[in-house]
Amino acid sequence: MSEYLVVLTRRAVKWDKVVDPQHRTRKSIKVKRYCRKGIPSSQRAQVWFDISGARKRWKHGQGVYKRMLDSTKDAQVVESIKIDLHRTFPENIHFTDDLSSKKESLFNVLSAYAHYNPTVGYCQGFNYIVALLLLVVKQEEHVFWLLDVLVTKRLPDYYSSGMQGLRVEQGVLDELLWWKMPALAQHMKTIGVDIAIPTTKWFICLYTDVLPTETVLRIWDCLFYEGSKILLRVALNLLSLNEQKLLACNDFVSLCDGFKNVTKSSETVDCHNFMETCFTVPGSLPQRKIDKLRSKKQEMLTAAVSTS
Amino acid sequence: MYFSWAVDLDPKGANNQIKEAVDKRYLPEDDDISIDDVDLTGEVGVERRASLEAAFLEEIFHIRTSDQYLGKICQFKLVLLGESAVGKSSLVLRFVKGQFHEFQESTIGAAFLTQTVCLDDTTVKFEIWDTAGQENILLFIFIKSFVRYHSLAPMYYRGAQAAIVVYDITNTDTFSRAKTWVKELQRQASPNIVIALAGNKADLANKRVVEYEDAQSYADDNGLLFMETSAKTAMNVNEIFLAIAKKLPKTDPNAGGQGAGQQRPKGNVDLQERNQGGSGGCCK
Repeated sequence: MSEYLVVLTRRAVKWDKVVDPQHRTRKSIKVKRYCRKGIPSSQRAQVWFDISGARKRWKHGQGVYKRMLDSTKDAQVVESIKIDLHRTFPENIHFTDDLSSKKESLFNVLSAYAHYNPTVGYCQGFNYIVALLLLVVKQEEHVFWLLDVLVTKRLPDYYSSGMQGLRVEQGVLDELLWWKMPALAQHMKTIGVDIAIPTTKWFICLYTDVLPTETVLRIWDCLFYEGSKILLRVALNLLSLNEQKLLACNDFVSLCDGFKNVTKSSETVDCHNFMETCFTVPGSLPQRKIDKLRSKKQEMLTAAVSTS
Repeated sequence: MYFSWAVDLDPKGANNQIKEAVDKRYLPEDDDISIDDVDLTGEVGVERRASLEAAFLEEIFHIRTSDQYLGKICQFKLVLLGESAVGKSSLVLRFVKGQFHEFQESTIGAAFLTQTVCLDDTTVKFEIWDTAGQENILLFIFIKSFVRYHSLAPMYYRGAQAAIVVYDITNTDTFSRAKTWVKELQRQASPNIVIALAGNKADLANKRVVEYEDAQSYADDNGLLFMETSAKTAMNVNEIFLAIAKKLPKTDPNAGGQGAGQQRPKGNVDLQERNQGGSGGCCK
């Protein structure tokens, strides 16, 4: 771990030259590269807010958050959020105590957002995402806009009803698997384990409550800058690092168990190295190819829905 | 009724007992060789332990694991359904690990666990799918059009031979939702599916709003197994799984689960597992 401290210190010195608390951090090739190498925790809140476009939305939407907080709430939505409040990181000290302000903030952001974006509403998984955002970003209002940017801009339609974007994404991942790791893809097909089984939670929660927190934050550093492709890279990297183990699982039960262990392997803890391998191990993933696969999968899904 | 070592319906514990007994009995106790010297790891170790265990069973219980005398091994897929926060994951956690967490994290997607129960001459192995309670994620998992697109649904209740539909006795809405699930299962799932209705959180009797009799008569009308359960106190948790295990057809060769019939590489947990040969059916 001390090695990682050295890395962090080195990165912090570099970041100090790019981030000015008085001004918005602008996007550039350099900042993109820096994000891949990790944003120092002291600057993470500001950098996320700047590079994701959340600041812009916040600026244009002055007063929106407060209005949403004060608006009359749909009882059912409130109920479903309340059910999850004490089931979100129950072992984290910031979310254990009933009087804890973070729990209240969690409720505020989730309910405000559900009413701001009623087509999405409250989707389980938001509870983990917002909770982690609140641990990094102090202001509720900033968290609110970061969530909005994720849901409507950085991620392709994961959470709207029917979660079509998520299905498409899993279809894309499946195709990428056939391309990058055909043996594993064939093995999963033979045994009958669909890629959706292990990865639904990965995508819905953006790896929170799936991978170690520091690793998740590093993934989000890229997510807020570059968008959802990093989620595919992480998935491919996880599968690739564990490919041999998964290939050795000879039946449905053991393969499902094997997938459970994929996110617990020691490689995921060493986040700096893990992030590096996310960009090297799966190899090139041209955006054009992903876009093409996405529209192909989208068409298939639309056709399937309309004929059923 | 059960093998004496499985009376507590804790096959893992039972296996540990056997392992301990095997260790004591068959591993040399003199000073020449210590237990540590006998390698029970790796492939050879697994084989070795297997033969030790078989010898032990044969001698103590007059059970022969090597032939049909031990009886059938059945593998069944079971799915848990019900409204958010009624205690689906808690029931599974209690059944599989004997644990209870006051604040169980919400399940996203579906979680997969296995557990074995022994009854008479049959070992029933459950593949348990614990699902998310929230509607949109469930829709995502179950929606019919998805079958064609992604063939995901068959992996959940389409192939399930058993289902536990859970409600919370302190919340009427969850009971209505449970009824909807029962209807859905009766319409969609395989016709022979065994459905159990579990009225969970029975420890909160002072907050009860769903009467036992109402649920019982609903269950009777629909041919469901019914028990009130408490994952917290463990009341009726093993019992409901056992009741399902008893009711499941154990002779139908077509009733096998997806994972049945293949040997697991681990091979060192369940005694009977290695007997599972290459048949596609659930039972042997």
